[in-house]
Amino acid sequence: MLRAGGARFSRDAAHRPILVFEDVYKSYRHGAPVLRGMSLVIERGEFVFVTGPSGSGKSTLLRMLYRADTVDDGRILFLGRDVARLREDAVPFLRRNLGIVFQDFKLVSSWSAFENVAVVLEVLGLPQRLVRARVAEALERVGLGGRGDDPASVLSGGEQQRVAVARAIVGEPALILADEPTGNLDPQLAIDILGLFEEIHEGGTTVLFATHDRTLLEVRPRRVVILDEGKAIDVPQGLSADEYDNRLPL
Amino acid sequence: MVREWRLHTLSLFSLSVAFVCLGAALLVVTNFWAAEQRWRRAGRASVFLKDSASQGEVDALRAALVRVPGVTGVRYVSSGDARTEFGRESDGKGDLAALPIEAFPASIELDVAPDMPDADLADMVVKMREIPAVDDVETYQAWTGRLTRLARGGVAAAGVLAIVVLSAVLAVIGSTMRLVLQRRRTEVEVLKLVGATDGFVKKPFVLEGAVQGAIGALAAIALLGLLFVLVRGRADTELAGLVGVEPSFLPWPVAIGMVVLGGILGALAALVSLRRLVPV
Repeated sequence: MLRAGGARFSRDAAHRPILVFEDVYKSYRHGAPVLRGMSLVIERGEFVFVTGPSGSGKSTLLRMLYRADTVDDGRILFLGRDVARLREDAVPFLRRNLGIVFQDFKLVSSWSAFENVAVVLEVLGLPQRLVRARVAEALERVGLGGRGDDPASVLSGGEQQRVAVARAIVGEPALILADEPTGNLDPQLAIDILGLFEEIHEGGTTVLFATHDRTLLEVRPRRVVILDEGKAIDVPQGLSADEYDNRLPL
Repeated sequence: MVREWRLHTLSLFSLSVAFVCLGAALLVVTNFWAAEQRWRRAGRASVFLKDSASQGEVDALRAALVRVPGVTGVRYVSSGDARTEFGRESDGKGDLAALPIEAFPASIELDVAPDMPDADLADMVVKMREIPAVDDVETYQAWTGRLTRLARGGVAAAGVLAIVVLSAVLAVIGSTMRLVLQRRRTEVEVLKLVGATDGFVKKPFVLEGAVQGAIGALAAIALLGLLFVLVRGRADTELAGLVGVEPSFLPWPVAIGMVVLGGILGALAALVSLRRLVPV
């Protein structure tokens, strides 16, 4: 695992939660906070759904985690370091410990699948021999073995998202953030992609999966965090669709 | 660069035009300097004699001049010899060749040591003008001075052009880089999301800017070279006769300096235009 901002790895870190939100406040408009004193703890190796209605702050939560946005107040501790107070020049090193998957895939269409995945390792300065081996392994893992030379532009939506997942895992990050990764996919593909994340999770990676798709919450009982009126409601045993509606009446 | 070849071709063309202006100015300046150096080193003076000067006076003057410190050679040129020399140099062309002998005064041509101080030469000229047999003394310093002033003026003009070129390079490459950055917005965004530092992201753009600037300068030198060959083929005899030196192309250090300058300016322009990357 890479060091974030040059800090040395501590033995105690292995027993600490991987992610802690402490009393986080965030608003984009005066008088209309998105997150109001939100607190949440994620342990290592967990698979957690983050859900809630549109505008509830799911994406905001993740954006603050990888520092595309900053908190107004509170702390976000990732591997024991307060992300909110990192210097700008330390942010790239934070992101090297994360794997991020987006709803719109965020692939470079003029690059091949291989190049889109390899960029993670090239940024780290790994030798080409190692890059080739690890990228091939990552593509194999997401079911795209042998498709490395295909331009991203000719891949289907599901295949593009698989490439995005491969890119997220190739660096062996401590935490994977998925921001509505199935938002642009049909229901069956969405289930397939969720299955992919579950396989990755079984390897020990912590996954934070933001989604408003309630059908995904029912696939398997997993911890669910519901964002509602700026606060987090924790449902450790998971939610069915009915329970979701009860918690968040329309 | 390959993907945005149209954009870069337009940029290179603009850069080449700017560098051609600078290169042309440098070409003129280097040739003026060469001419000035040649005339400065020529170390010549011509003592024009009156028609009434007797042979005895001429011989006495010659003997005296040989003993002057700094004078390395003394040669008497009679009117006839002067007309013959002129006719030889002009290949018998022109109306001047048809003039009578009296139009070509006799003279004593002096070879002057290159390190003879100007003050000593001026002093010698003053004293020679007082000699009854001497009509006039020409040291060609005015001509050398004129060349020096032209060369200095050329340097000043080249300096102004260099500023114009600098501005053009910054503007052209800066605009090109901003357009390229817009087109590669997704690429930059992805790089930043996977943990690339700003330096890592900017490096290829800065390199592109440097390559553009260097190629622009190189293309300008190639174009200037072509024009120089064409012009020289038609006018080198006249030019050599006018300034006393054969025109030469830009010296290698100047040409290489232009390419290096182009590269540096291009890199700087890219760096300045990328001050603010896509915020992610």
